Amino acid sequence: MLYIISRKVILAMVTVLVVIVLSGILIHIVPGDPVTAMMAQSVTATPEAMAEMRSRLGLDLPVWQQVGLYVWHVLQGDLGTTIRGNEPVLTLLMQRLPNTFMLAVSGLVVALAIGIPLGFLAAINRGRIADTVVMIVAVFGVSIPAFWLGLIMIQVFSLKLGWLPVAGSGWRNIILPALTLGLTYCALVARMTRSALVEVLGEDYIRTARARGLREHQVLLVHALRPALISIVTVVGLVFAYLLGGQVIIENVFSWNGIGRLAVQAMLERDYPMIQGFIVVFATSVVVVSMLIDVLYSILDPRMRAK
Amino acid sequence: MDKHPYLRVRDLSVTFDSKRGQFKAVDGVSFDLSQGEILALVGESGSGKSMTSLSIMKLLPEAARLSGQISIDGVDIATKDRRSMEDVRGAKLGMIFQEPMTSLNPVLSIARQMTEGLRRHKALNRQDAMNVARTSLLDVGIADPDRVLSQYPHQLSGGMRQRVMIAAAIALQPAILIADEPTTALDVTVQAQVLDLLVDLKSRLGAGILLITHDIGVVAETADRVAVMRSGRIVETGRVEEVLNVPQHEYTKALLGSHLTVETGLKIRDAENGRVAL
Amino acid sequence: MTEITQTTRPWRSPPLSVLIGVGIAAIIVVAAAFAPLIAPYDPLRMAAGPRLSAPSATHLFGTDEFGRDLFSRVLLGARLSLGIGVVAVLSGLAVGGVLGLVAAFSGRYVEIFLLRLIDVLYSFPDTLIALALVAFLGPGIENATLAIAVSLVPFYARVTYGLSAGERAKPYVEAAQLAGIRSARLVRVHVMPNISQSMIVMGTLGFSSAILSAAGLSFLGLGVQPPSPEWGAILASGRNYITKAPWILMFPGLAVCVTVLSFNLIGDSLRDLFDPRRRTR
Repeated sequence: MLYIISRKVILAMVTVLVVIVLSGILIHIVPGDPVTAMMAQSVTATPEAMAEMRSRLGLDLPVWQQVGLYVWHVLQGDLGTTIRGNEPVLTLLMQRLPNTFMLAVSGLVVALAIGIPLGFLAAINRGRIADTVVMIVAVFGVSIPAFWLGLIMIQVFSLKLGWLPVAGSGWRNIILPALTLGLTYCALVARMTRSALVEVLGEDYIRTARARGLREHQVLLVHALRPALISIVTVVGLVFAYLLGGQVIIENVFSWNGIGRLAVQAMLERDYPMIQGFIVVFATSVVVVSMLIDVLYSILDPRMRAK
Repeated sequence: MDKHPYLRVRDLSVTFDSKRGQFKAVDGVSFDLSQGEILALVGESGSGKSMTSLSIMKLLPEAARLSGQISIDGVDIATKDRRSMEDVRGAKLGMIFQEPMTSLNPVLSIARQMTEGLRRHKALNRQDAMNVARTSLLDVGIADPDRVLSQYPHQLSGGMRQRVMIAAAIALQPAILIADEPTTALDVTVQAQVLDLLVDLKSRLGAGILLITHDIGVVAETADRVAVMRSGRIVETGRVEEVLNVPQHEYTKALLGSHLTVETGLKIRDAENGRVAL
Repeated sequence: MTEITQTTRPWRSPPLSVLIGVGIAAIIVVAAAFAPLIAPYDPLRMAAGPRLSAPSATHLFGTDEFGRDLFSRVLLGARLSLGIGVVAVLSGLAVGGVLGLVAAFSGRYVEIFLLRLIDVLYSFPDTLIALALVAFLGPGIENATLAIAVSLVPFYARVTYGLSAGERAKPYVEAAQLAGIRSARLVRVHVMPNISQSMIVMGTLGFSSAILSAAGLSFLGLGVQPPSPEWGAILASGRNYITKAPWILMFPGLAVCVTVLSFNLIGDSLRDLFDPRRRTR
């Protein structure tokens, strides 16, 4: 099993490396001169500052050297500095990363808490009304843009009802964005739970369990749910990646002080070093989380444990 | 030996509705099974024998419609609802299936799967249930029950899994055991062991065994009585010696003719490979 | 010889969901196609009516902060969204499809390399990839469309690879290879017809994804630029008037929802139809 885990770790590291390389390449797709584009937004744009930025980014060098330089810097932990205040990108991102994770995990918890029971309900009532209703709701859910839902939530809960604050990053503020994320992605979770459970329910060992005269709720909750949950764990990683993606926009809607909000601001300001830094940090987070979930799966499934 | 039939099946029919009309998987089947005897239900694939066994357990797919009488110990269960069947299954009617690979839950331990039936039906605590499970495993010829109990299905061989299934079923001491092609998925050598086990259980526990199989050889070795099925109907029934030696129905004759040739041929081949002494 | 259809199931009348999906999609496509003719007002014309007025007989969806008719803007937005979606999906499908086929039918090292690359990219949400690209390319409808197209490539590449690998294992491919047919011809003439069904399904699902990405990008200000009435862009401006003029929030959002929903319904049903093993009913 150690062998499997180390393989996954290596794969994760390679993935991050690829992303870093891509991030280094991306700055070169900017039409025209990146420094001009960046500095156009900034008030501190002087010819000297621009020249300095150019040399710092190594823009006089051939492309592949620049990318190599960038990768080298990143691996040493230097993600560059922003054009705005000359602050180190890594520091700024790391300050806000906990916020992002807090929201993401909350959103995930909500999505699972709503989605798994719904999927379960649909699966055991397969073909009947409850199933159809849940599936219809799920299709709707998958079709709703998260940011729209967020705006509606703000409209209803903050402005109309005055229950919850609109923006900010305190613990009270987490409720609406977490709920928005959770509701958006619970549809996906519900669908996947349903199909995992339906597949399990068709297996022979469920028939054996019934043949032993076990009460139906025992059959469902012990014999069916457990193997299904194990397959759902693999899906959770996927859902989490999507959730983090959606979160970038949600952070904007709710003015949540996480890396997503920082990133979008940077994009509007053409702060390329910051954008690159964001891509690297984001990708690393996704990869680390996926890997952890993978390992969790290996532990939970007895078939993998023995190896 | 109590000759009063514990299981009486009268005019059992299983019908599937489809857009193209009705399909009768089982068509007016009737037989008796007493405790302490082995009745073999033999036929080709699609003859309806598995469906018959599933209908006795009321484990049919939802699309199936059941009609007829099934009485267990004098009580008609054909009309019983799910909750009452849950009491009957396991405790009075045990069943073991064809595929030991997929018939055990891969994520639960053997101990768990063996004791849950006991705790459910006999209200035993964990300790007592484990003891009964241990004894059952010994009864089916597993020498190291504690080790097996702590393992998971994927760690056992096919033969072991089948034994575990049988052990789990007999631990509940059902009066009737239904065995649906219990040896089909196993190696030849293991087959013989499992069949011997079933015969042994018949005499030791006094259970009545309904043995579903397509293999006449198995019938010859194991069963007391036999019922031949074809297209959902029983075409001939009687004591094994009679039916196999003096078959009355054309289909039975054909079945015997083809099977024995194959069976004999296989035996010869196995002997040549040094696997089985002829 | 070559198997053209894998499943020969009798034609059953399609489930309600498909009909609803196709129905809605048809309405939207028609609306988008004829938008300039149907729209009662010029979507860009300010002061076509009183500012921030509620939906009424003259302005079906109300007006926005500049007095522009919201209904006309949403109609034109349909055109924009569908246009972006179609272009992005077709290009993404073309590139991704080629990548997937190349990965499946080339040498071992090419396959491993491409597959790893595709997998790495596939593990990231497509909206984010589009966002990253637009961040560097700059805002605007062309860049947004390109970015979305690229974001769909990993998905299509992976799907195509999976399908191709499945076909590759089938006897007719082996037979053709033994007969000396070269890979390129093999793929073009024999493999592609067999996977085209599934590709169409993937096309519809990618379409909904594209529309969501487009709306998201425009909402953030990185996609279609104002005054173009892309649905996401309208939502962005409507954000400031949530209480005063909630209709600016409702209608474009509903439009996105309904459009994405209809294509999801179609895609889901097609997928269930074409893959007998996957029946979830």
